[in-house]
Amino acid sequence: MSLIKLTGGRVIDPANGVNDQVRDIYVRDGRIVAGPNEHEKITAEYNIAGRIVMSGAIDMHSHIGGGKVNIAREMLPEDHRGDPLERTELTRSSCGHAAPGTLAAGYRYAEMGYTAAFEPAILPINARQAHMEMGDTPILDTGGYAMLGSDDFFLRMMAAKEDQKAINDYVAWTLNATQTVGIKIVNPGGISAFKFNQRKLDLDEQNAYYGITPREIVKVLSRAVHDLGVPKPLHVHASNLGVPGNVDTTLGTMDAAEGLPIHLTHIQFHSYGTEGDRKFSSAAARIAEAINQKKNVTADVGQILFGQTVTASGDNMVQYRNADHGSPKKSVIMDIECDAGCGVVPFKYKDQNFVNALQWAIGLEIFLMVDDPWRVFLTTDHPNGAPFTTYPHLIKLLMDRSFRNAMLDTINPDARAMSNLAGLDREYSLYEIAIMTRAAPAKLIGLADRGHLAPGAAADIVVYKEDADRERMFEKPELVFKDGELVVRDGRIVKVVRGNTHAVKPEFDRSIEKKIEPYFQRYHSVRMNNFKISDDELCECGGGSKLIAHACKKRG
Amino acid sequence: MSALVFTLRNAPAQRVDAGALNPTALAGLSVADIAALTLQIGKRTVRVDEVFTLEGDDTADLVFRGDCGKFERIGAGMKSGRVTVEGNAGAYVGQGMLGGTIAISGNAGAFCATGMKGGRIEVAGDVAEFAGGAIPGEMKGMAGGLLLVGGNAGERLGDRMRRGQILVSGNAGDYCGARMIAGTIAVAGTVGAYPGYLMKRGTLIVNSLPTQMLPGMVDCGPHRLGFLSLLYASWKGLPGAFGALDASACTVRRYMGDMGVVGRGELLVRA
Repeated sequence: MSLIKLTGGRVIDPANGVNDQVRDIYVRDGRIVAGPNEHEKITAEYNIAGRIVMSGAIDMHSHIGGGKVNIAREMLPEDHRGDPLERTELTRSSCGHAAPGTLAAGYRYAEMGYTAAFEPAILPINARQAHMEMGDTPILDTGGYAMLGSDDFFLRMMAAKEDQKAINDYVAWTLNATQTVGIKIVNPGGISAFKFNQRKLDLDEQNAYYGITPREIVKVLSRAVHDLGVPKPLHVHASNLGVPGNVDTTLGTMDAAEGLPIHLTHIQFHSYGTEGDRKFSSAAARIAEAINQKKNVTADVGQILFGQTVTASGDNMVQYRNADHGSPKKSVIMDIECDAGCGVVPFKYKDQNFVNALQWAIGLEIFLMVDDPWRVFLTTDHPNGAPFTTYPHLIKLLMDRSFRNAMLDTINPDARAMSNLAGLDREYSLYEIAIMTRAAPAKLIGLADRGHLAPGAAADIVVYKEDADRERMFEKPELVFKDGELVVRDGRIVKVVRGNTHAVKPEFDRSIEKKIEPYFQRYHSVRMNNFKISDDELCECGGGSKLIAHACKKRG
Repeated sequence: MSALVFTLRNAPAQRVDAGALNPTALAGLSVADIAALTLQIGKRTVRVDEVFTLEGDDTADLVFRGDCGKFERIGAGMKSGRVTVEGNAGAYVGQGMLGGTIAISGNAGAFCATGMKGGRIEVAGDVAEFAGGAIPGEMKGMAGGLLLVGGNAGERLGDRMRRGQILVSGNAGDYCGARMIAGTIAVAGTVGAYPGYLMKRGTLIVNSLPTQMLPGMVDCGPHRLGFLSLLYASWKGLPGAFGALDASACTVRRYMGDMGVVGRGELLVRA
C-alpha cells in the first residue's frame, strides 16, 4: 500500500468542473482517492503549491503503430540518422523525428505530459502488428480504431443489401477480433474504388464495382457503431481529402450520419474552398458553423506546422495524387491484402508556400471558430500535419494571440491575405486546453477512468510550472504520474512503466462467423481463428500490457 | 597560429565517428575545450585527448596524423577551412561538406564526398566504393564541389550524383556513374563494367571503352564538343592526370544513355 499526496496544486479538471482550485490530490495504488484512511500514512508527498495540475493528456488521433508507420520508418532512414535518441541508464536508444521508433514515441509523449495515444487507422489484418508496436511503446496507454469501409467483405454485404443487423454483427465481430476501441473509415469506399481505376470518389458517386456510395457507407457504419453502443463515434476521414472545394463533401458527410454521432478527423484537410485567383481558399468558417450547429458532430483539426514530416495514410487515392509533391521525392503507394491500401509520402510544409501557409491558417481558424472545446480536438494527425512533438508550439499558438499574429506576419503574404486569422481574437484558456487534450478525448472514446482527477480515476497526473510562455510550459512538465508512478520529473524520464491497452467488446450474434469463416478460407492469407486476437495474446504481444475493456451499452 | 595537429595515440579497433572534429564545429573553441570533447568508440565514451595528442591551436587548419582508417566522417559538414589527413581516412569523408578543403595523403573509405555540396576533397590514394555516391535512403549523392582522386576509385563511383565533379587519375570500378542525376565524372585510367547504369543525365569522360557496355548506352558517333575545351581549361593546374590536358583536343565518341531510364546522360570516350 502506498499513498501519495500532491499538496497545494492548482487543479484544472474540466470533467468535474474544477477550474483552477487549490486542492490536495491523494493517490493510492495507482488510483486517485478522496483522502487517507484512518491512521494511514502518507508514503510520499510532493509539495506543488502554485503549480498547475491536470490529468494526463490523451492524443485521440496519432499514427504510432501499424503497417504504414513501419513503412514510413523504413522509407526514411535519414529521419532516423538525423534524430538519434541516446540510451540512458533508464531508457533505451531510439530515433526518428517524423516517424519515431516506438521507444522514442513513448518517451517523448510522456515527457510532454501525454499518458495515452490512440492509433486511428488499424487495418484489421494489421491489428496484431499494430498492437505489438503499441505494446512496445513505453509508458503510454494505447488503443486503436479498426478500419472498415473499403474492405471486400463489408462492401459485398452492402452490395447484397444485407440488413443493418448483419452489418452490426460484422462491425462488433471486427472490434472484438482486433481488440480495438472504435471504428474508422478512410475515404469511404474510395480505397477500394482506386483499385477499380477511379481516381476520385465523391460522396454520392458509386464505387465502380460494388455500386456503393460513400454516403451509404457512412450512414450504415455510423448506425452500426451507435447501435452497438460503442462510446467512440464513428471516426471518419472523409472523401476528397486535400481537394480544393471539398468543404461541400465534408458538410455532406456530416449529414450522412443522419444525426447520429460522427467524428470527422483531421478536418483541416477537408475545409477547403475554391475562391481566389488560385482557386484555393479557406472554408473554415462554414465548417466551424456546421460543427457549432450540429451537436452530433465532433472533429479533430489535423493542424499542419511548418517543417519536414511524412504523410502516412490509408487513403491511397489521395497519396497517389500527392506522390509528386513529396519531399524528399519518394513514396510508397500500395495495396494491403486486397482489403485496404496505404500511401506514404514524405512532405515538407513551407511557410512561404501559398497552399501550405493557408493550410496552417485554416487549421487555426477552425480551432478558434469552433465554440465548444468539448467537440474539437488538438491533433496534428501525427505525423501527417506535423510530428506530435510540436503540440506545445500549437498550444502556444492557440493561447497567445500576439504570438499567433507574429507568426502570421511571417507566412506567405497571399495566404495571409486570404485568411481571417488576424481578426480572430480568441485565446484559449488553460481550462479549455485541458478540455480539448484531456476531458473531451476521454469522454469521446469512453475512457471512464481517464482524463479527470476525481476519486476513482486512474492516477495519470501532470504537474506544470505556470509559465507565460505556454510552449515552454507544456514542453516540460515538472512531474508526470502514470497510474500513480512518477515517470517524468522536469521533462526527463525517471521511470519507465508499461501502459494499458484499451478496447471495447460489443456483443454480437456469433452466427456471423459462419459467414466470415468460409470467406477467410477462400480469400484471405490467414484463417479466421488465426486472425482473431485473444485477450491473452494481446497482453503477451503487448509485452505485458493490461487490457482495459470498456463497456458498450447496446442501443439497437 | 599554427595548425592544430591531432596525432593518433593508438589506432582504435572499432569505427569512430569523428564528424565533430571539423573546422566549422571547432571554431571558437580552445584547445582545452577540444581536448575535453568526447568520441564514441564502441561502448566507450572517451575524451579526444585520450585518443589523440593535440598540438597547435588553429582550428581552421586541422591535421590528423597516424592511421585514421577507422575514423569516419572526417570533415563532415564543414563550411570552410582545411583538414589534412596524413595517412588513411575512414568512410564518409566530407559528408555533406559545404566548403573548404580536405586533403588525404593515403586512401579514403566508402562514401567519400557523399552529400557534399561545395569545397574540395583531394585523396592522393584510392577511394573505396560509392565515392560521391548516395548513402542508403538518400536521394542524392554528391551535390556540388570537387573530388580529386589520385589513385583508383571503387565500384559505384558517383552513384546518384546530382552535381559537382569527380576526377579520377587511376581506374574506376564497375557501375561508374550508376543512377547519376547530373554532374561530371572523368576517369583517366580504365573503367569497369557497365558505366552509366541507369544514369539519367550527367557526363562521364573516359579514355577508353569499358570492357562491358550497357545495351542502354547508344553510340552517337564522333563529335567535336566545344564545351570540353572550356571544361579542360577549368581543370588547368589541378594535381593528377587532368591538370594539363590539351584544351583543343575535344573530339570524343559520344554514347548516350541509359536508355532504360531518361537516357540523357552521356559517356564521352576521348579520341
